[in-house]
Amino acid sequence: MNQSRACHQILRRMAKKSSIVAFGLLFPALVAMAQDDSGPDYGDILQGFADPSRWLTYSGDYSGKRHSPLTQINTENVASLRPVWTFQTGTTTRGRGFETTPLVDDGVLYVTGSNNYAWAIDAKTGRRFWQYRRNLPDDLTYGASAPVNRGFGMLGNRLFMVTLDAHLLAFDRRNGDILWDVELADYRVGYASTGAPLVIDGMVITGVSGGEYATRGFIDAYDPATGERIWRFNTIPGPGEPGSETWPDDPEILAKGGGGTWMNGSFDPELNLIYWGVGNPNPDYYGDSRPGDNLYSNSLVALDADTGQLRWHYQFTPHDLNDWDSNHMPVLADIEWQGGPRKVVMVGNRNGFFYVLDRVSGEFLLGKPFTATTWAREIGEDGRPIVLNDGSKGCVPDPWGSTNFMPPSFYPELGLFYLTARETCATIVPEEPNLVPGQASFGGVVFIDPEIGSGALRALDVQTGELRWEFTYPSPTFGGVLTTAAGLVFAGDHEGNFMAFDAVNGENLWHYQTGSRIWGAGAMTHILDGRQYVLIPSGTTLTAFALPER
Amino acid sequence: MSTESISNQTRLSLLQPALFFVAFAVFFIASTASAQQTNPLASDPRAARAGGVIFRGQCATCHGADAKGISSIDAPDLTLMWTQPGMSENRVFTRIQAGIPGSIMPSHDFPDTEIWMLVSYLRSVAVTGSTREFTGDSGNGGRLFAAHCNECHRAGISGGSLGPNLGRITEIRSQAALRNSVREPNSSIGRGYKPIILSTTNASNVSGIIKGEDAFSIQVLDSSQRLRGFAKSELLSSDRDIDSLMPAFPEGQLSESQLDDILSFLNQQL
Repeated sequence: MNQSRACHQILRRMAKKSSIVAFGLLFPALVAMAQDDSGPDYGDILQGFADPSRWLTYSGDYSGKRHSPLTQINTENVASLRPVWTFQTGTTTRGRGFETTPLVDDGVLYVTGSNNYAWAIDAKTGRRFWQYRRNLPDDLTYGASAPVNRGFGMLGNRLFMVTLDAHLLAFDRRNGDILWDVELADYRVGYASTGAPLVIDGMVITGVSGGEYATRGFIDAYDPATGERIWRFNTIPGPGEPGSETWPDDPEILAKGGGGTWMNGSFDPELNLIYWGVGNPNPDYYGDSRPGDNLYSNSLVALDADTGQLRWHYQFTPHDLNDWDSNHMPVLADIEWQGGPRKVVMVGNRNGFFYVLDRVSGEFLLGKPFTATTWAREIGEDGRPIVLNDGSKGCVPDPWGSTNFMPPSFYPELGLFYLTARETCATIVPEEPNLVPGQASFGGVVFIDPEIGSGALRALDVQTGELRWEFTYPSPTFGGVLTTAAGLVFAGDHEGNFMAFDAVNGENLWHYQTGSRIWGAGAMTHILDGRQYVLIPSGTTLTAFALPER
Repeated sequence: MSTESISNQTRLSLLQPALFFVAFAVFFIASTASAQQTNPLASDPRAARAGGVIFRGQCATCHGADAKGISSIDAPDLTLMWTQPGMSENRVFTRIQAGIPGSIMPSHDFPDTEIWMLVSYLRSVAVTGSTREFTGDSGNGGRLFAAHCNECHRAGISGGSLGPNLGRITEIRSQAALRNSVREPNSSIGRGYKPIILSTTNASNVSGIIKGEDAFSIQVLDSSQRLRGFAKSELLSSDRDIDSLMPAFPEGQLSESQLDDILSFLNQQL
């Protein structure tokens, strides 16, 4: 760090602690330098929504609640919400979505898009400061079939983004220049990366895609200054390591065991634990070659942030045969549980069950279905699903799941967990695949009943998992959810509607047809010059909404 | 400005040898490709079977095990693609190999032989109906079509739009499927033709087919063939559990030979 940078940081810290006004009167020139923005530091990200003019990490804060304290837009006035500007990205992803969550700091939005485009945008006008486009190799593997990205991480003047050829990049946020570029894994084998990096104190955490290929997933931590790797957690154990007993005793199978980590995780700074979801075992549908539970596939892992070592895990779908990756945003909350305070982590899972776990120990507290599923009757006291193997199970939620990675939201005061539910019916016929590096190997075929398919926004009581209310959509939906302390839920659907609901009773208060489906993204909100904005990506556009100016 | 245009001209002349080379290269590639235009495995019945195995392993997750696509992810029905204008085996080969840029369809570095096997498989599941000759009296078929079908279906320039355009139907549906659609129209109603009856707040009923729908609105073509959009909030009720708007034509009403005549007439429209 050069001297002037160090000086800025000291000034910023002093300015925060002492009176900014007095300091400014004494040293106007120095304050001007300090405002020559050195960008948010770890302490700023840690404060989450304390400064609602900022949104510095994927969910707005480390907890994954996606619950903003902003109240300017409320249940009374939301009906007059209107678009203020639309940003056209000009880059498409057929079959997937514009899945990003923009970050905002100092009136500037930092947005990633499909095909590894990225932009800095004036949050007030929607006008672009700079655009980045990565030159991608023409032999992408997983990255070619899902050329998406879910957002930046930010620290100081640096932005961090992962790529479809499985690299991690650091940008200068002022001009989009690349400061460093490191390879996470060899994309030609089947790796890619699409999540929003999680920035914590002195580390950038990221994962990889590729569980449909002969890959082995991992979660990595990198030095934000240099791109040097600090630690790696392999989601599939090596021979002899804990968890390897849940696999055949064959190093080759372990080395291709899958377990992608493509959705970003959450972080508890007090416990110093990172919570991250792990994807399907490979091959997806064919399990005969991998008898056993196949840890840590389809699990939530809690990792020590300093070392990347596993503290605990919980496996939602042992020996998965349905491609039910557990790559969801783990939602952290401190709630009253059976008469006492409890630190919990909540997950609405692709397998159709909503889970509450103790996030200190990983203890199973609750598991209740939130969609129709005949995969498992219930989750037993020990936290293991009672899977129906009696031939009666018929169809199950399709491989896209009862929900997916689209972010849910938790409203602490109401104790309600809001998620997008998908009602589908699929039959899977496994077939033994030939595992070839660089080629996808699903290991079977899927028959989806075209006559069954709908979606819903559902509000679940986290104490019981019971449905409090729902709003139904005509087709299975991939839009995410945002809540605000004004009693509002914002959600998007497959038909392109961006909507606001009364969080208490589910009454629809407002909707706007964006013209293209909202897929994989949840809304974000921030305040700028006294006006609250709500942003949603849809199709190839990003639209900002606000109340009419008086 | 003038400096800019001069430099452009200079650049162009410098590029001319390169352009020539590119043109030559394109010609060379095109001639190589044309040598591949026929599937070298076309006469081998094992090719389609082998292609089916590859398809189920590599393509079915998006295109469905039956190659009929998955609409929720925009994966197209591949059994219908052969009827697209300009579609050829060589073009399918290229699409599999190169992918479709800007779409979810990736490129594949399979050996040429395996791609031809996939092409053979896709040929074998293609919905092209000419499994049987059209032996009816097309002149009589045209008169029957005008009397029974033309109000809702088009087969050429004129006709209705409540039902599918039948102008190319014998190319994309088998005769068996067409006969079944005439005799029992409820057995399979395509997307875009699902029937509905809407009861509106001004106390009138609208019957039609659903063209589009979201959580707040519905778009229909009503039975008088007028496009109408409704906010769901202005509807009292809707009923989807109803028969197709296409009436059934049992044998007593339309004999087998009359149906042959109509199919022959439709086949002439190609």
